Amino acid sequence: MSEITSDSGVMAALRQQMTLAAARQAVAASNLANVNTPGYRAREADFEQTLDGKLGDPLTLTNPRHLAAAEPSGPASHEAAGLAARLDGNNVQIDRELLSMTQAAGEFARAQTALAAKFRLVRYAINEAR
Amino acid sequence: MSTLGSAVRAGASALAAERMRIEVAVSNLANAESTRGPDGQPYKRRDVVLQTTTVQDFDDSLGRATAVGVEVAAVVEDQGPARRRFEPSHPDADKDGYVTLPNVDPAEEMVDMLGAARAYQANLTAIGLIRDLVQRALDLGRG
Amino acid sequence: MTIDALKGRIPSGLPKVGGGDAATTPAGAGFSDALGRVVDAVESTESQANTAVSGMLSGTTDVHDAMIALQRADLTLQFSVQIRNKLVQAYNEIMRMPI
Repeated sequence: MSEITSDSGVMAALRQQMTLAAARQAVAASNLANVNTPGYRAREADFEQTLDGKLGDPLTLTNPRHLAAAEPSGPASHEAAGLAARLDGNNVQIDRELLSMTQAAGEFARAQTALAAKFRLVRYAINEAR
Repeated sequence: MSTLGSAVRAGASALAAERMRIEVAVSNLANAESTRGPDGQPYKRRDVVLQTTTVQDFDDSLGRATAVGVEVAAVVEDQGPARRRFEPSHPDADKDGYVTLPNVDPAEEMVDMLGAARAYQANLTAIGLIRDLVQRALDLGRG
Repeated sequence: MTIDALKGRIPSGLPKVGGGDAATTPAGAGFSDALGRVVDAVESTESQANTAVSGMLSGTTDVHDAMIALQRADLTLQFSVQIRNKLVQAYNEIMRMPI
């Protein structure tokens, strides 16, 4: 219950997962919107690499502050590497961005499901302790 | 700035921009043989200049990711050289029998149109995806 | 339900109340202390929820953050009601004890 009254623990970790997934969506959406803008370079979210490693199982996350390294304090994205540019200097690839969005959507949905279940559990515990 | 909200706005801006590109490509194709416009001159190919929209109130203190969209900076006339074709029977042929035609290459216009259509479709998909996510986020407040 | 068992169920992350209403008996001080912390938690999560929701409506805050804030406020309130009930129950039990 303390992680509900004071934003911490698994709840905070799941909330952070959703925020990061939403940020990934924003970056991919920017890339897709500018797929035909001359000179535009595709960007990707800063925490792209750390996410895969650290957030495999939110239940094993002991301290949500571990995610502070992934939390963007400055710009949240950087230029994506290794993409070939076309004639107009643009290097956005539609399929790559759509894939990224689908993955981020999955992460968002999974975290939301877990969080909703957590809330239901706590609600049940509170009411059954009557 | 709501992260997902800005992403939808970015997608919507792309829909408008790509639609403009398609319309201009269609106009170019339709006027590819137009030797005399309202001003008496041959049609000049038009081009859409796209640019990334600048992020206005970017809330740096929160470090929130905000999506950037795209906008049509201008629709310009292509000042490239016109085509000339030998056709003395044409009413607009000059004294040497050449007709000045618009600098439109139908193949290039088709390529532009297909590229714009593909981008339109992709952004439409993206908007739908994000709308679903927002709905799921709202479901968190339920029950 | 003993007082100690009750105290163990008060959320440990709650801020302590400084200088609240102190009853004359030691049992009373423990109760008001616990109640104070719970009330603070309710107020805190509720104001956070208000901020979050108005942020969401004005486009500043993410929807999921606002929804989570709402749930936290709701659950904290529900929990506080249960705590209150239990505390009142225990208090009455104690008051019924022959001195």
